[in-house]
Amino acid sequence: MTDDVVRQAQAGDQRAFREIYRQHAGRVYALCLRLTGDAAAAEERTQDVFVRVWHKLGSFRGDSAFGSWLHRLTVNVVLMERRTTGRRERRVAPAADPAVLEGAGRESAVGLNIDLERAIAALPEGAREVFVLHDIEGVPHAEIARLTGIAEGTSKAQLFRARRLLREMLDR
Amino acid sequence: MNERELLEAVGRLPKSIEPPRDLWPGIERRLGGRRVPWAWLALAAAASVAALLVARNRWGPADVWEISRISGLPRVGQAPLAGVGALRVGDSVETDDSSRAVIQVGDIGRVEVAPGSRVRLLGANATDHRLALDVGEIYARVSAPPRLFFVETPAGVAIDLGCAYTLRVDASGNGFLHVTSGAVEFEWGGRRAIVPFDLRLEIRSGFGPGVPVVVDAPETFRRALDSLAFGQEQGALPRVLALARRDDAIALWHLLARTEGAARLAVYDRLTELVPLPSGLEREAVLRLDRGALDAYWNYLPHSVWLKGLKKKKGR
Repeated sequence: MTDDVVRQAQAGDQRAFREIYRQHAGRVYALCLRLTGDAAAAEERTQDVFVRVWHKLGSFRGDSAFGSWLHRLTVNVVLMERRTTGRRERRVAPAADPAVLEGAGRESAVGLNIDLERAIAALPEGAREVFVLHDIEGVPHAEIARLTGIAEGTSKAQLFRARRLLREMLDR
Repeated sequence: MNERELLEAVGRLPKSIEPPRDLWPGIERRLGGRRVPWAWLALAAAASVAALLVARNRWGPADVWEISRISGLPRVGQAPLAGVGALRVGDSVETDDSSRAVIQVGDIGRVEVAPGSRVRLLGANATDHRLALDVGEIYARVSAPPRLFFVETPAGVAIDLGCAYTLRVDASGNGFLHVTSGAVEFEWGGRRAIVPFDLRLEIRSGFGPGVPVVVDAPETFRRALDSLAFGQEQGALPRVLALARRDDAIALWHLLARTEGAARLAVYDRLTELVPLPSGLEREAVLRLDRGALDAYWNYLPHSVWLKGLKKKKGR
């Protein structure tokens, strides 16, 4: 991602913004899919993220890498939506089409990846969020606590629970 | 599998997964232009309405909507809904704690009915698609010209301006509106709020809409704003003004019409400090709440959306 593309998009150039979408859609969608555990919701959130990016581009000052800024914004959008519509249930089976996951998978690990992705999607919501943020995205517990509004100890407990549940599911 | 093996497997997961379909067209539709003259939009909206009416005349009125079960056993009237059914004007939909349903709003959108909700179909005309949300929560996604889809609640009516939103009402008639795409107008007893994408609005039975605020606004600001907007604490205004950021300009814009005299002047001063008045707009016109001046100013506020200006149209 060149700074020029970001600057052009900041100036209102939708072609440049489309290039940003093209380069980052996979990364954003993967995060949305894993955080929501719901393929349809992940598509909606991905669209929400990029619409929000368009409106917030003016506030990106380049203090951090664009990818890091986008990552934070993605997490915020997904968690905010979940907070607002917390009672909404999953509407579609998570990643029902294995091709969704195979598309980006590495040949040698595709089978395990699919099982693991499905197991992650099947985790209880709170455990899944903490697991995805901590173990996949590398977000520290203190930051997870701030983002999700839970105590740091709760974040650690949710991670312990998520790992135990995943091992149980994958051993079956 | 032990924990080390699990973490190794996690480390092999791809960081990127391509969406199963191209999401750009949907994003592009929602971006709109940043500054589109509202008159052109009004013309486009009128043309769309005309096209819709022509289509309806050709293929007949869609006065029966389709309703589908998502989970559990929702009821249409007294009848349980096992699969797909019809919803007619006067019918009610009820979901218990474990049931959900989705209503096709004619051919312009869909409404998901969350568990614990009661929804009634009030109107199914080509120019007036109208539901009542008595209690519970809906998620609406509408793709149509503005002011064709309405949801009545005990706290007022939500008027679609081309959008997606969540609307929740509790047993006492209070709740919130959270817009995730486009914009929604909410009205009760002459009190209005325009809620663009990414903003949230508290609503109260017997009072109507509060003041919309961006969803990530600091909690202290939101609390102060609600105290002020719902008349619980008039003394909250200095706190609101002190805490307001540029991102909160839309909240202050709404407060112009909710205040008078010195209070309105204080709101104006803070608002123009955050977002200077564009050239050509007069201070006095804004302070006397001249509709044209307020609309023009709205166009310059952060988070305002391209549908700006359409709020002037009278669609009903």
